[in-house]
Amino acid sequence: MNANIYQPDLMEVVQVRQQTADVKSVRIRFRDEERARAFSFRVGQFGIFSAFGAGESPFNLCSSSNWQDFIEFCFRRTGRVTEALWNIDEGDIVGFRGPYGNAYPMDKWRGKNLIFIGGGIAMPPIRCAIWYALENRDQYGQITIVYGARKVGDLVFQNELDRWAEYDNVRVVTCVDPGGESPDWKGEIGFVPTVVQQADISAENAVALVIGPPIMIQFTLPVLSKIGLGDSDIYTSLENRMKCGVGKCGRCNCGPAYVCKEGPVFTLEQIKKLPKDF
Amino acid sequence: MSEIFSFATLRRLVDQWITEGRHVAGPRLVNDRLLYGWLESAGQLTLDGEARPRNSIKEFLFPRHEKLYGYKLGRKRVELTEVAPLVDEQIVIAARPCDAALGPILDHVFNWDYADATYNRRRELTTLVTLACQSYDAQCFCTSVGSGPDDPRGSDVMLYALDEGILEIRCLTEKGRRLFAGQTEPSDLEAQVGAGPEIRFDLDKVGEFLEGGFEDAQWPEMARRCLGCGACAYTCPTCHCFDIVDEGAGGQGVRARNWDACQFGMFTLHAAGHNPRSQQAQRQRQRIYHKFRVYPQKFGTLLCTGCGNCTRNCPVGLGVRPVLSAISRSSTK
Repeated sequence: MNANIYQPDLMEVVQVRQQTADVKSVRIRFRDEERARAFSFRVGQFGIFSAFGAGESPFNLCSSSNWQDFIEFCFRRTGRVTEALWNIDEGDIVGFRGPYGNAYPMDKWRGKNLIFIGGGIAMPPIRCAIWYALENRDQYGQITIVYGARKVGDLVFQNELDRWAEYDNVRVVTCVDPGGESPDWKGEIGFVPTVVQQADISAENAVALVIGPPIMIQFTLPVLSKIGLGDSDIYTSLENRMKCGVGKCGRCNCGPAYVCKEGPVFTLEQIKKLPKDF
Repeated sequence: MSEIFSFATLRRLVDQWITEGRHVAGPRLVNDRLLYGWLESAGQLTLDGEARPRNSIKEFLFPRHEKLYGYKLGRKRVELTEVAPLVDEQIVIAARPCDAALGPILDHVFNWDYADATYNRRRELTTLVTLACQSYDAQCFCTSVGSGPDDPRGSDVMLYALDEGILEIRCLTEKGRRLFAGQTEPSDLEAQVGAGPEIRFDLDKVGEFLEGGFEDAQWPEMARRCLGCGACAYTCPTCHCFDIVDEGAGGQGVRARNWDACQFGMFTLHAAGHNPRSQQAQRQRQRIYHKFRVYPQKFGTLLCTGCGNCTRNCPVGLGVRPVLSAISRSSTK
């Protein structure tokens, strides 16, 4: 093989949607039809996305792996690459390489009740798994989604939260930090760990996927342990800084685990064995 | 029986290779300092003086700046252009064993799962002619990491300096044999190789310490004087961390990879502001763990050849040897 592993595919932007004041989601599709047909990924994997002239950054593939016409990613405007991505329009070209990393074990989760807990910009990497589970509704049990943000305007994919709640056996709990509510806010007010604690969630035959800022994860994990979830039933996705995505550039490792290769998805059991390097 | 040839023959060959259009690199004096560099003529090749060059041969296999591909931006279009593949043969002459070993070590990381084509191409096109060491300085510690002054690992040819401008030559690979075919003569002279630098630390004790020592109170103490300059990583034969950046203007440019170093504060800084290694002690610890625990666990080989460049080039006398010596001493308690 003489292929250049660092050279991305050229992708056409087919939709840009502003989610919050500083978050956008972007749908892209392969320019090359053959590549489009050959491409597949598993939910939980990530890609490295390019804004040519600015650079590239890793983002989760937040679309369901069942969707054939496009892949989607979501980002917060926060640096050089995301500033350039912020300015793209439909029809523009971006770069994509991937999919990289491991994935959520959707097969292993069959027959289980699923608990999804997300904070802020961490909804996109959960959203792909939610849609995947809903599209295979008969394979999974009760689905509980707890999603919190600092304020109402920071919730991403708000329109989809309502659609998820319409499915059978799906419960959606939304919350905002105290002071972040709007006059017409109908969700909970409080921090994610507290809301999870008070939501009366059953741990029976359940697995949980928890993604969010480090502080949210830190305080949510004990709550899940308390309601009875074992360490091997709690999953998260580490988000260490990456450049290459293919295990070479040497910066995403957490002790012996290269997050881009052995991760980004880890169980709490695995994380407890890793040194505190994330 | 051995094969020998003269230093004069070597110089003639080097000039011949250069004339033929091959790229030849070797130790040369730059502002009175011994550094590996491309040779314009054999006269620049310097085989004596300092124990080893202050840099490594890494840059001939993994350049500090490398174009990955070019891009041209148009309205609603982007064109990517391939970088012309490397075609010229490279010869590194008088590499030290602690440099030559980098190939077999780095082959692992550049080829697990995803094969790095440009690295592999450079490896294929490069012939490594290694000069066994006869002198060492206070920073050399190859013998402490399981190597030694004439370790052939990674070399295509081993050279041993005999008396009076004569070199013993041992060709180890087909590439090496091709390079020197017909240039050597049989002899009964055989090089005597010294024992190498004294053992500086106990690698087993280091391993035991690292197994449970991630949170050890010694790390902040050991790292206190580190300036975070990255000289250790840049002059290390095996440090291979890199950054990927776009360099260009006016709608065109290149995507390039440049050397990076785990000692820099921005190396692991998240976009959202969190930094898993916000302190220098954590970054020093990462460098030691990567070399002596993570890499061996993953790839079965240390990410260190004992060259000592990290300490030789450190403004404050840190680097692998002093740190591991301290660790080794502390665990004898």
